[in-house]
Parts: sequence; structure tokens; C-alpha cells
Amino acid sequence: MSASRVQVATLIRREILRFVRRPYNTFLPPIITNTLYFSVFGIILGSRIGTVAGVSYIQFVLPGLVVLGSISDAFENASFSVFHGRWEDYIDAVTTAPMSHRGVVAAYVSASAVRGLLTAVLIVGVGLVFTSAPVTHPFHLVGFLVVTAVLFAGLGVIGGLAATDFDNLTVMNQFILRPLVFFGAVFYSLDVLPPLWRTVSLLNPMVYMVDGVRYGMIGVTEIDPNVSLAVLTGAAVAVFLLNLALFERGFGLTE
Amino acid sequence: MSPPAIAVRDLRKSYGDVVALDGVDLTVPAGSFFGLLGPNGAGKTTFIETLVGLVRADGGEATVFGHDVEREYRAARDAIGLAPQEFNVDRFFPIHEVLEHKAGYHGYSRTEARERATQALDRVGLQAKRDQQFSQLSGGMKRRVVLARALVTDPDLLILDEPTAGVDVQLRRDLWETVTDLNESGTTVLLTTHYIEEAERLCEEVAIMSRGRVVETATPDALMNRGTDRITARLRDPPATAPDVAAGDDRVEDVRMEGDSLVVTARGGGLVAPGLVRALDREGHELVDLDVSRTSLEEVFVDLTDAGRGGLDESTDPEADALTADGGSP
Repeated sequence: MSASRVQVATLIRREILRFVRRPYNTFLPPIITNTLYFSVFGIILGSRIGTVAGVSYIQFVLPGLVVLGSISDAFENASFSVFHGRWEDYIDAVTTAPMSHRGVVAAYVSASAVRGLLTAVLIVGVGLVFTSAPVTHPFHLVGFLVVTAVLFAGLGVIGGLAATDFDNLTVMNQFILRPLVFFGAVFYSLDVLPPLWRTVSLLNPMVYMVDGVRYGMIGVTEIDPNVSLAVLTGAAVAVFLLNLALFERGFGLTE
Repeated sequence: MSPPAIAVRDLRKSYGDVVALDGVDLTVPAGSFFGLLGPNGAGKTTFIETLVGLVRADGGEATVFGHDVEREYRAARDAIGLAPQEFNVDRFFPIHEVLEHKAGYHGYSRTEARERATQALDRVGLQAKRDQQFSQLSGGMKRRVVLARALVTDPDLLILDEPTAGVDVQLRRDLWETVTDLNESGTTVLLTTHYIEEAERLCEEVAIMSRGRVVETATPDALMNRGTDRITARLRDPPATAPDVAAGDDRVEDVRMEGDSLVVTARGGGLVAPGLVRALDREGHELVDLDVSRTSLEEVFVDLTDAGRGGLDESTDPEADALTADGGSP
């Protein structure tokens, strides 16, 4: 393996070990949270709602909860890891090393995307306790999950570089991520919205992610999944390039 | 001819109105043990951080072994091992993994990185603590970890930023021994300190920084020779006035009586003293005791920097009085 690959592999390994060795902080919360979601929305409310888009309500919300957990953890992992490294200055061990900027960005993004994907698997596992989890379009399912995890890991890197204290990270999560998620058709179908709000909802990137994963799992879609996947891939590439530009400029890292 | 370890021309850096580096020119020869002295706020740390990419210079050029620190940053950083003053160590991992990660960031495979981490921990005497996390260690051990992390990549240029700040005498001597061994095996060492004893004892050459500029570069001996030494000759029957025993010696700056002693202030006191003893003997004075007190590097340092002219503003340099010649043991 070339020196450059070893460098990137080392940083990826470090990043993954950091969250794997702290399962009570990283894996237990989404298990508990989603158990509560499935209990309330799937069992208690779901029994009164009946079917949505031809499937039970619990099956309808499952893809949305998978996306919600996956992107939240991908974002949180990247933003926390970068910001904590800056806060305690140990990120200097990386930034003073002979690593390419591209390698550093690739490592931070991919490790956080892995965290998002593992969370997605955990949520599906929790969902299986309550209902079945069909996979009707596996390639679309994997494609959407990977692209969305990469996209939000990249956004998390930006957050980690831009934050000036830990409160900033909370603000990003509460005031940006949560509203996008809750208006992202996780808990409802776009069909129930008035035409104006349906059109407005299409400006929310979360709608495309949830719709794409829903297509991959239960085969129901309201937007062309290939168009959604292409747009999200473009967004992930754009965010990666922005990460790269920020690292090259030393944004948040260099005085 | 190999390029110098560090070559810097007209390096400039400002933070708003505060000028941290004001046109620094400096060359550190490959293989040397080089000291960078200066009071707090002189620009030493900013200078170092410019070399490793933590600070981006506003102007000027800096190379490490011929590699520009911005255009060829990967080659430049690959040559550097930095032990910063602050404890910026990853606290999520045991210290052996911290070192393995650092080696990996420099391209060493996992097997090599593990071996290097073991060697580095052996070198600083922390093998028994390898599975502990940084936060569980004492202050002195933390200082050793920072040094081990700098050594784990086997750097050609080892930069030590105030390595003995706040450490006890034994650890300070251990660190000196380790770093001296490395230098003797070919590693260039750049040591920043405001402990003058360290520079006198370790460095072949020192640069003195003040207010973002290098105000002097010389060997410690050459600097000390610029100062004046004090020769104190205690006489059995001291005369009322100082005898004319130094006539014609332009190295002598002052001769006077202090109690029963003749005190001569001169440059190169060790060379002046034998002639002085002979002159006293010729004139019939009986010598009881003789002491030659050399000027210290600290005195030259104080004289060359703003600290010596009362120019340091306490509000901008609260630790200026940390300047000490005793090695600074707590």
C-alpha cells in the first residue's frame, strides 16, 4: 500500500475506532430513540391510521426513520470529530502531517458515512422487531443510503470547521437538521399536502432522500428515484469539493 | 551540499494590528542544535507554527530541507517532528495508539507504526504506561508523550517548543540527554526556550528574537564574549585607591576598589586575569583570593531584547519575568 493510502487508512481507522469503542454514546441512543418512534408512530398511532401508500403506517415510516437516524449520526459524527479535534488542538497531529487535503477530507467523510450506514442498519434491525422490512430495489436502497450518508458527513465536516463552540453544533442540529427532517415526508405522504406546500416541500433535499429509500424498501415513490439519486450525488460531490476547498484554505484550522 | 534544515527570508505575519513576525531572516544548518531564544510574545511559536502549516504567513519564504512549506508542504512536514508547548494529544486513545496513529499519518504501515511507537515509548521511558490514556498521566509523563509523538516518525528536524516548561530537574535532564543523543545521530534540533541554561548547555548556535524579529544569531560563546566579565581579586593589604594594573589593556573597561577587593570589569575576563595577577605581584600586592565571574548568556539576552530596555509592556507580555537562568524548575 502506498504511503498516501496508509495515511488515509490510518485516519479512517482512527475515526471509526473512536465511535466503535463508545457504543453507549454512539449506537445505543439510536436504538432507544427508534424503539420509541416505532412504538408511538407504528403501534399506537399506526393502528388508527391504517395504510399509507398501500402499506401499513409502520412500514411507511420505517424508511424515513432510517434516513433520519443515518444522516443525523453521519452529520453529528463528522461535526463532533472535527470540532473536538480543533477544540483540544489534537487535530494538529493530522494537519501537520504530510497528508494531502483530499486524503484528509476523504477520511473524515468516509468514516462518518460508515457511522451513518451502521446506524441505518441498526434502525432496520429495530424495525424488524415491529414489522417486516422489505427490500424491493436493493441497488437504489444502497445507493440512496450511501449518497445521503456521504452528503451529511460532508456537511458535518463543514459544521465542525465552522463551529466556534459546542453550542454551535447543537444549533445546527436543532435549527437546520431537525426542521428539514420533520418536513421531509418522513411521517406523511406528499399526497396529503395542498399543491402549494407539496411544491415547497420539493425544495427540501430530505424529501428526495426519504422518497428514494422508501422506493428501495417498499417500492413506493412520489419522485423519479433516478433523478433524486443524480441530484443527491451531485450535492454530495459539491459538498466534498467545498470540504476540500476549506481544508486547502485552512478554514478553521490555520491562523 | 545539502540544503539547510530551515531557511527563512523576510517572513511576516500579523494578527490585526499585532505584528507577530516582522521580517524574520534565519538559517538553521542541517544537523545543528539550534536555539531560538526570546521573551514570551517574541514570535517564536508563530515562527514554528508557520513551518508546520498551523500558521499561514502573510509574506516571505520558508523552506525545510529545501522544500517550501506551502508549495511543497507534504515533503516539508514529512521531515518535521514537532513537540509543541501545549498538550494537544488525542485523549480518546491509549498513548501507544496515539503514537501509532501519528506514524500512520506519516505513511508507516500498521506493523511499522506499532514498532515505532514501542521504540518511542522506550526512548522516553513510558513503556509501562503504554495502555493508559493521556489524561491519566502526570504532567511530566505528558511532556514525555509529546516528545515521543514527535520522535515516532524519526524526523530529520525535531522542533521542541519550550520542552522543559514546568518540568522537574530530573525530567529536564532526561529530556536533554535524549535530545542530545538524537542530535549526535544526525537529527537537526530547533529548541525554543526562555531558559537560558538550556541554550548555553545544549545549543551550538542561538538566534535571539524580540518583537517578531531576529536581533542576533551567534554561538553562545560568541554572545557571551560580547559581554563583560567581572574579576574580583581580594588583597591582604588593600590600597586606598585602585592600583594601575591594567594600563594599556583595551579589554579592561573599569578598575576600582570594593572593600578589600580589586574589581576589574573586562571583556574576556579569563584571558585578562593572568596578566592582572602578574601585575599585582610586580607591584607588591599579596593576593588572597581570585574570582572570575563570566557574563551570562542571560545578561546578553536581556541586553539584546526589549526586556533589557524596559520595553516590554506587561499587559502584552505577562510572563516576561519567567525569563530565568536557573532552568525554571517549579
